[in-house]
Amino acid sequence: MTAVVPAREAVRPRKRRYTTDQVSGGSVALRMVAGFVVFVIFIIPYLIMFFGSLKTKAEILSVEPTYFPTEFRLDNYLNMWSAPETPLVQNLISTIVISVFATLLVLFIALPAAYYTARFRFPGRMAFLFLVIVTQMLQPAVLTSGLFRQFSVLGIGDTWLAMILINAAFNLAFATWIMHSFFAGVPREVDEAAQIDGAGRLTVLFRINLPLVWPGIVTAIVFTFVACWNEFAASLVILSTAGNQPLSVALTKFVGQYSTSWHYVFGVSIVAIIPVILLFMLIEKRLVSGLTAGSVK
Amino acid sequence: MTQTINEAPTQAGAATGRPRPGVTGGPRAAVGTRFKDLLAALPWIGPAILLIFGVVLFPAVVMFYNSTRDISISGLDKGSVGFENYQTLFEFAPLGGIMVRTIVWVVAVVSITVILSLALAQLLNKAFPGRQLVRMAVIVPWAASVVMTTLVVYYGLEGFIGIINKFLVDINLIDEPYGWTKNAVSAFNWAIAIAVFVSLPFTTYTILAGLQTVPGDALEAAKMDGAGPARTYFNIVLPQLRAAISVAVLINIINVFNSLPILSVMTGSIPGYDADTIMTMIFKYIQTEHKIDVASALSVIAFLIVIVIVAVYVKLVKPMKEV
Amino acid sequence: MKKSMRMGGIVATAALATLSLASCGFGGGEAGGSSGSGTTLNLLVPTYSDTTQGLWEGVIKDFEAENEDITVKLETQSWDNLNDVVTTKIQANKAPDIMNGGPFAGFASDELLYPIEEVVSADTLADFQESFVDASSVDGVQYGAPLIASARALFVNEDLLAQAGVAAVPTTWDELLEAAKKISALGGGVAGYGMPLGSEEAQGESAIWFYGSGGGFGDADAITIDTPENLTAAQFMQKMVTEGATQPDAGATNRSPLIEVFVQGKIGMVIGLPPTVGQIEDGNPELNYSINPIPTQDGSAFTLGVADHLMAFKNDDKKKEAITKFLDFFYSPDQYVNWVTTEKFLPTTKSGADALSGEEDLKPFLSALPDAKFYPSTNAKWAATDAAFKSLVGQLAQGKDAKAVLTEIQAKVDAG
Repeated sequence: MTAVVPAREAVRPRKRRYTTDQVSGGSVALRMVAGFVVFVIFIIPYLIMFFGSLKTKAEILSVEPTYFPTEFRLDNYLNMWSAPETPLVQNLISTIVISVFATLLVLFIALPAAYYTARFRFPGRMAFLFLVIVTQMLQPAVLTSGLFRQFSVLGIGDTWLAMILINAAFNLAFATWIMHSFFAGVPREVDEAAQIDGAGRLTVLFRINLPLVWPGIVTAIVFTFVACWNEFAASLVILSTAGNQPLSVALTKFVGQYSTSWHYVFGVSIVAIIPVILLFMLIEKRLVSGLTAGSVK
Repeated sequence: MTQTINEAPTQAGAATGRPRPGVTGGPRAAVGTRFKDLLAALPWIGPAILLIFGVVLFPAVVMFYNSTRDISISGLDKGSVGFENYQTLFEFAPLGGIMVRTIVWVVAVVSITVILSLALAQLLNKAFPGRQLVRMAVIVPWAASVVMTTLVVYYGLEGFIGIINKFLVDINLIDEPYGWTKNAVSAFNWAIAIAVFVSLPFTTYTILAGLQTVPGDALEAAKMDGAGPARTYFNIVLPQLRAAISVAVLINIINVFNSLPILSVMTGSIPGYDADTIMTMIFKYIQTEHKIDVASALSVIAFLIVIVIVAVYVKLVKPMKEV
Repeated sequence: MKKSMRMGGIVATAALATLSLASCGFGGGEAGGSSGSGTTLNLLVPTYSDTTQGLWEGVIKDFEAENEDITVKLETQSWDNLNDVVTTKIQANKAPDIMNGGPFAGFASDELLYPIEEVVSADTLADFQESFVDASSVDGVQYGAPLIASARALFVNEDLLAQAGVAAVPTTWDELLEAAKKISALGGGVAGYGMPLGSEEAQGESAIWFYGSGGGFGDADAITIDTPENLTAAQFMQKMVTEGATQPDAGATNRSPLIEVFVQGKIGMVIGLPPTVGQIEDGNPELNYSINPIPTQDGSAFTLGVADHLMAFKNDDKKKEAITKFLDFFYSPDQYVNWVTTEKFLPTTKSGADALSGEEDLKPFLSALPDAKFYPSTNAKWAATDAAFKSLVGQLAQGKDAKAVLTEIQAKVDAG
């Protein structure tokens, strides 16, 4: 049930693509219109968020809502860092530390597992792959109580380490699947040829396979990173010190008993989105070919 | 656990633990070597197993365990009650509706997502000025957390202060602001819309990736046969996308089934249980009623349901090829 | 077929593993600790406003300066998440040492709390106002140290009232209905009466009406929802909705956003509480409003009083002394008055009340307090009652039969 069918792409010479069709000017115009509509629909919620983050607290709660801020309060973006509700700078650092290390951990653990399960058959292989997928099916909201207990007994409750481990464990599945399917796509002959040349298994993995499955690794990194970046349920109970908490938890501090500082909620959201968007921009090309890989027949 | 799996290597040789150089086929591995194969695999999969067992096993067991306990509202374990929590659930009249709604939720979100993604991928695969920008825009909901996206829509739909409501009034679609998030049906529908919205980036990109693999010669052949664009799409492109779609659907099923924030934000203030799914009901048991025991029982049921759904799906669709 | 059987096998194995593990049990985990020579107190508090975190940090800084051997570790959570967090901690045997929260009957009946007389000095104990002591006690033992109080009152937008031609602030339900209808008739998105029956605070609005007809929620011994008095109230609430006296979708409107709308002058009358005064100061100081007694069926005086508490968890008797020091320090007028006034609530101590007696804004509330009714929050079924109201009472505004709603709530309460 595991292997997504391989991408031959990486090793095959490039063929003519479906994209290259000749079209009339009219249909290009049509595409531009459609593209524009899509663009607007996808961007609108975040525009509301962005403009909201520039309003005053009074304006954002106004019963006569405004599309655009009457005065652009760029200082919201300065003031929120010293908002009394939560130490945002530390929250941002926490988010970065937890996400980066959890992603690295996932990579180091999932990569060999994905490689081996794609390349070799051994008893329990299916059980292993099933075990991995099961972790995705558990509902985090209910698991938190067990997680909290476990990490306080281990003495690392309220630490980044705990959240790095948790994030890594719950994102292992996706990363393993994706990379597995990519490795499965590399023709076995490539390995075998290398082994005849006397290369060890690690050499085969790092020298021969990795360059071929790079897009798959990028995809796995993106998935894991985004999931860790936005994780909420476990952080809420595991991390009790305000400064240790990630942005996702910090956001809830702006929700008071009687009123919510929406302008800060939106401001923090925008700040949280930007690094991820930048990451995407850097790897967008690889992402397409990365995601591709899994599905080529 | 491993003993329960008796898997016959179908492609021996390279498929067994030690690929023998140059040998691509061969007799079935002897039983004795199977243990050795497992040992050989351990260094590679061991860390993953360790992490999963180290982190996930205990909380999962606690979930099963709690579902058979009587836990007070302050969280104190008062002893075993056997299957009483499950009985409480089955006697809970709205449960039937909640189950049906859960199915509607998953089926609606996943199928609409796939259909829209197919169209979207088709568009993004064609060349036109500004395509890069549109591709970036499509990615944004993925980068933003689901909670944030949901909150902003919720805020926009608010009856008094919502911008989306104001916009709908301004373009004369409705006469006065409507309480979208305050009525079960409209709130549920908006929740579906948001869930589709946040699932689109991943699904679209997966299909887009699949489109790269449609062989150009097959398309040309179809053209020469005089096939129209529709027939070409359904006969050649779509079959080629099968693998991409089936994997995307599987991942979406699991994610959508387990998705809590969208529904709990959009339908949270609605009285009664007319907009609840299994996940929001679990949430209500924890958050409002402080019944961790019943919540755990419902989680166990949810877990079993999703395992069955996934198993059936995998069986029918075979989204992943065996090695 | 073969594959699904394999999966079945895995599920069965997993289930077996669970059962065998479960039978061993895994209680335990050590109580959270005093480190080294000093003592660490864990303090868990909810966020009342954007100043809460800073206020507590100030208290702690001053306290630690005076008590160098005690460290106080502060954790703030939003009200939404507070309960989740504390139950998780209790399950893991990691209860906070001091917590600020609402209902505490559940903790008390699980014997998790110190009786308050064990963790405050006699002076502090004697300083609590008598009216709050009863509401903080279960079976005659006081478990909660009342922290803040609030009372409800009718906030009226005087300009809207005048525009609608209503001569006097209503004191009875019938007057309220008439006045609200007239204000609603002004149009332009204005609503006469704001009725928040959404999940956030549905039990509060219900109590306003139920107690207003001589009914109520019951007492420490029995929760009584399905009563004739309450039915009268529920039917009148429905009448308010069907005759257009309220804002749209009353059944799913939460309180906080609704009060925000009142602050901006789009609602004629709404039940508010002391912090509402501050919200008006911040959000719309020009609002021409007045604070009045809550209208009741026959016009008799009534307010709903609510007190939040500090409670001390029995984790480690060695910490008792430190807890006592902290609570005494906190309730000293220097600290306490500043805390309460900044959060804009009512004081629960006599010394606090004396210090604040000159505050004009608080007068309407302070004068209403003697008639205050409290939730039966020391009843073990209160948590279930609260939950049932939050998730069910809004159906009144959606046209469900009033009697059926009450029966449903009562059944939910009785089932625990």
